[in-house]
Amino acid sequence: MILETGTHLQRQPNLAHLESKAFYHIDTYPGSDRLGGSRVERFLFAFAAILQQSNYGVLLDLYARSSARCGRCAVSCQVFQASQEARDVPCYRSNLLLDVYKRYFTMGGQLRGRLFGNGFLHEGGVDEMAELFYRCTACRRCHIECPLGIDHGLIAHLGRYILSEAGIAPKGLVVSVREQLEGKTGNTSAIPLPALLDNLEFLEEELVDSSGIQAKFPVDVQGAEYIFFPAVSDYLMEADTLMGIAAVCASAGVSWTIGSQYFDGINYGLFYNDWVLERIIQKLVGEAQRLQVQKILIGECGHAARSARQYVPTFAGDQQLPVVSVLELTEALVRQGKVKLDPNAISERVTYHDPCNIARSGWLLEPPRRLVRSIAPNFVEMRPFGKENYCCGGGGGLVSLDETHEFRMQVAGKLKAEQIQASEAEIVVTPCANCKKQLRELVSYYHLPVQVVGVHDLVLRALRL
Amino acid sequence: MDLWLALAKGVFLRFVLAVTILGLLRHVALSLAALWVAIRRAPAQSLDLRQIFGETLAWLFPIRRLHRNRFGYSLASFLFHVGVLFTSLFLVNHIDILRDQFGIGWYAIPKGILDLLAVVTIIAGSSLLLFRIYASSSRQLSQLSDYGLLVLILGIFWSGFLAGRPGNPIPYAWLMLFHTLSGAALLLVIPYSKIAHCVLFPLIRLGSAVGWRLAPLAGGKVVQRLHGPEGRQI
Repeated sequence: MILETGTHLQRQPNLAHLESKAFYHIDTYPGSDRLGGSRVERFLFAFAAILQQSNYGVLLDLYARSSARCGRCAVSCQVFQASQEARDVPCYRSNLLLDVYKRYFTMGGQLRGRLFGNGFLHEGGVDEMAELFYRCTACRRCHIECPLGIDHGLIAHLGRYILSEAGIAPKGLVVSVREQLEGKTGNTSAIPLPALLDNLEFLEEELVDSSGIQAKFPVDVQGAEYIFFPAVSDYLMEADTLMGIAAVCASAGVSWTIGSQYFDGINYGLFYNDWVLERIIQKLVGEAQRLQVQKILIGECGHAARSARQYVPTFAGDQQLPVVSVLELTEALVRQGKVKLDPNAISERVTYHDPCNIARSGWLLEPPRRLVRSIAPNFVEMRPFGKENYCCGGGGGLVSLDETHEFRMQVAGKLKAEQIQASEAEIVVTPCANCKKQLRELVSYYHLPVQVVGVHDLVLRALRL
Repeated sequence: MDLWLALAKGVFLRFVLAVTILGLLRHVALSLAALWVAIRRAPAQSLDLRQIFGETLAWLFPIRRLHRNRFGYSLASFLFHVGVLFTSLFLVNHIDILRDQFGIGWYAIPKGILDLLAVVTIIAGSSLLLFRIYASSSRQLSQLSDYGLLVLILGIFWSGFLAGRPGNPIPYAWLMLFHTLSGAALLLVIPYSKIAHCVLFPLIRLGSAVGWRLAPLAGGKVVQRLHGPEGRQI
C-alpha cells in the first residue's frame, strides 16, 4: 500500500526564532591561521590546493559552463519545501561556489574581475557558504530532478571540504573525528575498549534473558570471514539491532568478528573532508588486514555503508576487500534458508524509511524491504519511497550537531514527519543509526505515536531457531 | 541595406559559425581530456556507464518526467528547447543560407509547421521569462545573463516570425537585418554562456559520477600543500 503525504502535523513550525541563532558551533584546527590572515584568503588557498590535487576541477568546469539556474531542483528539496527561502534552493547554494570558481580559477573570470573590479569573495560570502552548505542534508534528491544532471550534493560536499581546510567546520563532527583518529579510544563515541568488552558481554547475557538465544559477539578472531563495523554509537544506543545481528550470525553459523583495535564504522569524512574520509577508511582496512579477514561487514548505518562500499576500493591500495552491508548478508541468509523467520511475527502496521546514502543510488532498496515484508504482513510504503525518498532531515552529519535540532525538526525533517503521520504506521523501521536518531527526535517533537527501530530489531523478534 | 544583409548572411555568418563551432569543440575536447585524467586518477572505482548514459538519454527526451516537478514550467522549458532546435535547424530559409554559403543542406520541415512551432516557442519562452521575474525563488537565482539570453532568443523569434508575415508595419529588410544580426550574436555567445550545455549535456552526468571518484592520497597532498610536510592536526 502506498500513502500520500500532505497531512497536517499537530505542531506547526515556527521559523522566526531560527534566524537569530548561529547555525552550528565552528571548530578551527590549530594552525589554520598560517594559511592567511582573513577567512577569504584561507578559503581561496584551500580551494586552489584542492583543485590542484583532486578531481573536482572537471566537475566545476562542466557545471560552471552549463548551469541553467532553472530552479527545478527547488521542488525536490525538502529543506526548500519547508522553508520556502530562495537560499535553500540547491542551485542557489551551488552557484555560490561556482561563482567563486569562475571568478578566481577561470581565465574569463579573472579578466572580468580585473576589468570591472567586481565579483570578489568577501567575508559575508564565506559566512553564507558556511551556513548554506550545512543547511543541505546532502541527501542528493535534487540530483534526480536536475535535467542537466548537476549534483548539488556533491557541490555541498566540496564546499564543506574547502571550508574545513580553511578552518571552518562543525565542532560536533570535528571533535568526534579527532577522538576517532587522534584520541585514546579511537572511536567517535569515545568508548574505551574495556567498556566495549563489558558491553558485549552484557549484550550476550541480555540476548539469552530476553530471547533465549545463545549468541556470541566474537572479538579478534583471526581469519574470520567478516569483520564487523557498526556505527559505534550502536553499542550505546541500539542494543536490539546489535543483538539481532548477532542472533542472525549465530543462527546461520556466520564466521565474524569485531576488531579490538578498531571497531567504529562511522566516517564523518564523507560529510566534510576527503582527507579525513581516506584516513578512516585506512583504519578500517588496517584492522581487517590485522585480523586477516576476507570481507568487511558494515552494520545498520547508511553513511558508513556508503563510504566503505564506495571508498575501500579507492583507498585500500593492493589489499582489496569486498564490502558487504549486514542487510545484504541477512537477506541472503534468509533467502538461502539458513535463517528462518516467522512471517507473522510483527502484527503492527510497519513502514520503512530509506536512508539516502544506501537508497539514492539504488544500491539497497529491495533487500531490507524483503526482510521487513517477510515478517510484517501489515507493511505500508510511504510516498515517495526508494530512490526518491525524502531525507529524514538529519543527513549530512546534521543529526550529530545538537545546535541544529530546531532546524532539523522544523525545516529539514518536517516533510518526513508528515510522511510518517500519513502512513499511520505504528513502527518506522530504518537501517541507519543517524536516521533512527533523527526520526526518534521527530516523532517526539511532533508527538507522533510511532516507534522507530532498526531492521534487525524486528528480525530478532521474528527469528525462529 | 541589401549590402549589409548580404554581408551579415555571408562573411559575417561564416566568421560567427567558425567561432561557435570551434568554441564548442574546444569545450568538448577540454572536458573529455579532463574527464579522462580524472578517471585515471581514481582507477579503482567503477563507473556505471550504462546507468549514467541511460539517465542522460532519458533527460534528452524527458516527456515522461515533465509531470513530476513544476509541470507548467517543465513543459514550457521542453517546448522552448524543441522550438529553438527545430526552427533553427529545419527552416527552409536557414538551410538555403547554409547551401549558399557552405554547399551543405538537409531536409526542411514545411514552413506552416515551423510557423506554428515558432508561436509555441514564443509563448513558452515568454512564460519562462515571466516565471523568472515573478517566482521569488527563481528571481533570486537568476543572473542578468539568464534574462538577456531569453530576451535575445525571443527577439530572434519575433523578428523572424514577423518578417514572414505580410502587412507588418516594420520593413522586411530591417527585420531581417535585426533577425540575422541577433541570430549571429546568439551564435557568438553560445560557447561563452550557459547555452554551452547544448554540447556539454552528455558529459555532465558523467562528470558528476567522476566527481565522487576521489583520487587516492589527494586529501593528504592537499594538507601538505597547505601546511608543508609536517601536515596539520584534525
